[in-house]
Amino acid sequence: MKDAFLLVYRNMKERKARSALTVLGIMVGIGAVIALMSVGYGMQESITGQLVEMADVIMVMPMRMELGSIGAFGSFTDRDQEAVRRIGGIKDAVAMRGEMEEVEYKGEKFMVHVIGTDPKDVGALFGAIVKPEEGRYSKANDHKTCTIGYSIANDYFDDEIGVNDRLTINGSKFRVVGVLEKQGGFRSETDSEIYVTARDSVSILDNEDISEIFVRVRNIGEAEEIATEIEERIDDNHKLDDFTSAMTMGSAIEQMESIFGILQAVLIAIASISLIVAAMGIMNTILMSVMERTHEIGVMKAIGAKNRNILFLFLLEAGVVSAIGGVCGCIFGVIGAHAISFGIHTAFDVEIAAIVKPEVLLGAVVVAMLVGILSGLYPARKASKMSPVEAVRYE
Amino acid sequence: MIRTENLTKVYQMGDAEVYALHDVNLEIQEGEFIAIIGPSGSGKSTLLNMIGCLDTPTSGAVFIDGIDTGKLSENGLAEIRREKIGFIFQQFNLVHTLNALENVALPMFFAGVKRETRLKRAEELLANVGLGDRIYHKPSEMSGGQQQRVAIARALSNDPEVVIGDEPTGNVDTETGNTIIDILEGLNKEGRTVVVVTHDAEIAARVGRTKRMRDGRVLD
Repeated sequence: MKDAFLLVYRNMKERKARSALTVLGIMVGIGAVIALMSVGYGMQESITGQLVEMADVIMVMPMRMELGSIGAFGSFTDRDQEAVRRIGGIKDAVAMRGEMEEVEYKGEKFMVHVIGTDPKDVGALFGAIVKPEEGRYSKANDHKTCTIGYSIANDYFDDEIGVNDRLTINGSKFRVVGVLEKQGGFRSETDSEIYVTARDSVSILDNEDISEIFVRVRNIGEAEEIATEIEERIDDNHKLDDFTSAMTMGSAIEQMESIFGILQAVLIAIASISLIVAAMGIMNTILMSVMERTHEIGVMKAIGAKNRNILFLFLLEAGVVSAIGGVCGCIFGVIGAHAISFGIHTAFDVEIAAIVKPEVLLGAVVVAMLVGILSGLYPARKASKMSPVEAVRYE
Repeated sequence: MIRTENLTKVYQMGDAEVYALHDVNLEIQEGEFIAIIGPSGSGKSTLLNMIGCLDTPTSGAVFIDGIDTGKLSENGLAEIRREKIGFIFQQFNLVHTLNALENVALPMFFAGVKRETRLKRAEELLANVGLGDRIYHKPSEMSGGQQQRVAIARALSNDPEVVIGDEPTGNVDTETGNTIIDILEGLNKEGRTVVVVTHDAEIAARVGRTKRMRDGRVLD
């Protein structure tokens, strides 16, 4: 075996440039697949990871299908919230009243989504997921206080807003009591929202309608059933069909995962094209090697090599070339994956940590060798089938 | 040891059939040293390739050690070449990426001999042909005569009963040619059957028996 490797090694050394180019071909193919898979996993993880924390949440929104378009139409009432609360298995149901309002700070004005919720509900429910980075949430007996999203505090206005600063919402002065942690990703809209107490919201918002109900269930297993029941109860209240959309985070995760699954499959399919090109490169290299060494093959047969000895030598060459390519491809792929996530971070300011799975690396090397050996099969068979006398005569 | 029966080889050259061998009946006894002589194109190399199991006849048969080689598979023929026959070429035909030692060990590698054993034996064989100090040299670093001696050592690596030489002195100077004939004679004295094809009158004069060939036939 050692001598077989020696023969292969000497032969590759003799044709350094060609061997190196073939290795490079495999390396790029394998590297591309690894990089895209790792970035794909990273993307999936960064989005579904946030959702998993909220697996026991049901988001209830008024949503009616009209002529194939989906949009929010109408709103809920206190009666709807009560109806939802009465459903068994629900831990809590928080009503959110939200509207775009004009917010002013030091003379600058922006339209911001202002949401009113009952402070005790926020603490128990929403607060478990979205925590204040600084300060706290509004309390029940607070008067005209607000908690602001990360982007409101840092990005919207020229001056940063901190705890105890005052801003004007729809003409009323509010004191900031908390700044929320940066959320990003799937929950990035939270960064651009301002939370006030339900009581204050009634005084500043133009209406008292509930725009969204945020439900947490006791048992995640029952979430789907409960979601259906919520839809039925509220639809009954409004005497409408399909008025309510109650989406469990579980189903949202599934949807996301299937979208990412498709996205990833497409990316890998594209990357695989380079692998096919690399396979043809190997086949070409080994074929050239067989042609050039026809005479040598004849000599080896004349001194007693069997067909399978020759077959083995050329397959080994293909295997060695592709294994080296596979290993280099792993290194290239890992570097590439990190480069892509760095690129995404720089270009779009989205944090996606590439996830390099060991089984992907291992699989890549196996695939590389498989590709190599399969492409080596035809030339190697060709070599092994040569007639010794004709091959020896070949110069 | 070697016997041919109405051995015929026909090559198709366009529409014409060319008889490289025409009903050749030849018997070579065990331990014989025989030279086959004749002009170019007389069919001597073709005959040698048949005896060496490198080529298959169009009709007729070759028996080696009583085995009808026409009945053997490709693998069977490879085994005969490996175990019973040592082939020496005019062009030496060493594997140029391997050094002398590795070249000599190569047939033993195909025979599945253990690495230490074959390297040790290769070293001895090279010492026997006077190349004990050149075992790590590549073919390109050796003279024609040295390369031919490596080729002889390689031919002997699996201890064959028959050594076949196709113009073994054809590419070396007279002095080296003599050395090579000496070595072949020595092999014959050890009891091996030696068959050479040659133009070289000197070899012809030194061997026990010569056979002349013309137009694909062996003349008596």
